[in-house]
Amino acid sequence: MPAQLARAPRHLLVCEKGHARHPRSRHAAHVRDHAYSCRVSFLIPECALLPEVLKSTIADIGEYYLVRNLSIHELVAHEFIDAFVKKGSCYALTYNTKIDQDNTAALLPNGKLILSVDKDTYEELGLQGRPSRYSGKKAMRYIITIDLTDAGFHPESKKHNRVLWALKEKKPLEFDFLLAWYNTGAEGSTLMSYFSKNQIQALKPKITFSTLRDLQCPVLQSNDLQGKPEESCSTEELFEWLGAVLNQVSLDNNSSSFLSTYCCPEPNTVVEKAFLCTITGFIIPEKIIQLLEQLCCYFGEPKLAYWLTLTVHGFADSPVSWRESEHGFHKGGENLYNFVIFRNLDYWLQMAVGAHDDCPP
Amino acid sequence: MAGFADLNLPQGPDKKSLQSLLEAAAHLGYSAVALNHVIDFKEKKQEIIKPVSPSELFPSLPIVQGTSKRIKVLTRLTLVVSDPSHCNLLRSTSANIRLYDIIAVFPKTEKLFHIACTTLDVDLVCINVTEKLPFYFRRPPVNMAIDRGIYFELLYTPAIKDSTMRRYTISNAISLMQICKGKNIVISSAAERPLELRGPYDVANLGLLFGLSESEAKAAVSTNCRATMLHGETRKTACGVVYTVKKPRKVEEEETTVPACKKAKTQA
Repeated sequence: MPAQLARAPRHLLVCEKGHARHPRSRHAAHVRDHAYSCRVSFLIPECALLPEVLKSTIADIGEYYLVRNLSIHELVAHEFIDAFVKKGSCYALTYNTKIDQDNTAALLPNGKLILSVDKDTYEELGLQGRPSRYSGKKAMRYIITIDLTDAGFHPESKKHNRVLWALKEKKPLEFDFLLAWYNTGAEGSTLMSYFSKNQIQALKPKITFSTLRDLQCPVLQSNDLQGKPEESCSTEELFEWLGAVLNQVSLDNNSSSFLSTYCCPEPNTVVEKAFLCTITGFIIPEKIIQLLEQLCCYFGEPKLAYWLTLTVHGFADSPVSWRESEHGFHKGGENLYNFVIFRNLDYWLQMAVGAHDDCPP
Repeated sequence: MAGFADLNLPQGPDKKSLQSLLEAAAHLGYSAVALNHVIDFKEKKQEIIKPVSPSELFPSLPIVQGTSKRIKVLTRLTLVVSDPSHCNLLRSTSANIRLYDIIAVFPKTEKLFHIACTTLDVDLVCINVTEKLPFYFRRPPVNMAIDRGIYFELLYTPAIKDSTMRRYTISNAISLMQICKGKNIVISSAAERPLELRGPYDVANLGLLFGLSESEAKAAVSTNCRATMLHGETRKTACGVVYTVKKPRKVEEEETTVPACKKAKTQA
């Protein structure tokens, strides 16, 4: 039993390196695969003021909408599918629901509606689904996937009628939804006007800036993920250090502090000032790609910093993490990724997941 | 996975302290709690009173943190039995007993433990954590209880209060685990004050100390509690399949509709 107690719940960290300007670089694809992000933070060492270009990109991060008491059958209605799902990318996620306790729903930009329901709701709903992978021998949670852009899902098809009957009459489900829509330039109604009869609120993501003084930063070599003992730090050490900095854990291992004995990994340098920006809200991948591009352009002019980091956290209660792989909440529901961009535009990508999660692609 | 539930909140006479307990439980993330009314037969003859309906006690229930639903409150009765004659109460079809959502029994001797696991119509069998077990668990009654859908309950609040009780809690729990292999366990508090309540994930971690695996420990606070609540509900039905619900009928409406139908027939 003591051996079992010493083990933490399973977690995975996948590290990958590449070059941002390489034609086959997959950094944008990875960002696009991770649909729902609740917090984006970036840290730039040796920087006191943010350049104007970055400031305007952050200000342009777009707004998201919170709709209260929206029935799911409205997302399956064909007016909604034609107006939003087929034109551009529409993202929807239930708000204030826990993935391991309640029913959750999510709409992916490729048109798939994912419902993660508990056993009672699944049996009452009557739609085809499969048991959750993290449910144990007795299936207590089921995942139902409905493809809204499927050719067989037109208004008069049996599939559509069955889904509409189940969600409207058999077991009406109502949630508070977080919605966002990336418009690819098509004309038409906006989400505000479509849901004007529900209580829809437009919200802007919360942005905070801070400047950190005298920060110890690890020394990194872009072509060496493992780190060499006296020359550079490894990716795991960087990941831990970054977690400590973003959570404002002090790095000096004071004897009077009981909270943490964490020290910055060796070798490290002391940086006079570093800029930390945190954006919290329902942020869509298209905006994160724009932010990533601007951060790559930051190294267009000569700068003192050797690298900067961009961290994106996913929702702990979303039913999917990357693409359509199922996400569960065991003792923690973290699914996050972190870019480290170097001066020569090499990048490291670290993707971390918790216990009830698939390995990220 | 079901919502988290705490199936043992002692029901004291003070309404305000109960209200603060409920608010603490909702804040910690429990979706359902059961107010426990304990009957101890060692004291003078006690009557089993009708359970007070939660809607009368609490006009507005607090909302569970992180969701938009209100906390669900159930009623529970625990019988502390030290003599076989005390069990007669359960066998008799006393009207008041039927009104409780969950019925639990706390056996004090090995014979009573055997009777509770094999024949009594209960949902939970409480395991003593405050003193050294007077008897050893044996496999046959425990396996019969698992087959019948009866769950074993462990308390964690005594472990918070006193270090000797902490030792007994862990040793009794581990000896139970060796026999039942982690199945059919429910961990609940017997918290009298909000400070003694712990969050559901912390209680699941405590289950690891008792020898449960990670998924079994989380189930002990969520799925197994849901199963116990359903087991209690089936006592009000016929074989768990048919429900009867009293529906108010308006008698005058019926009289006026019947003649109208008759008229239509003759006219046609």
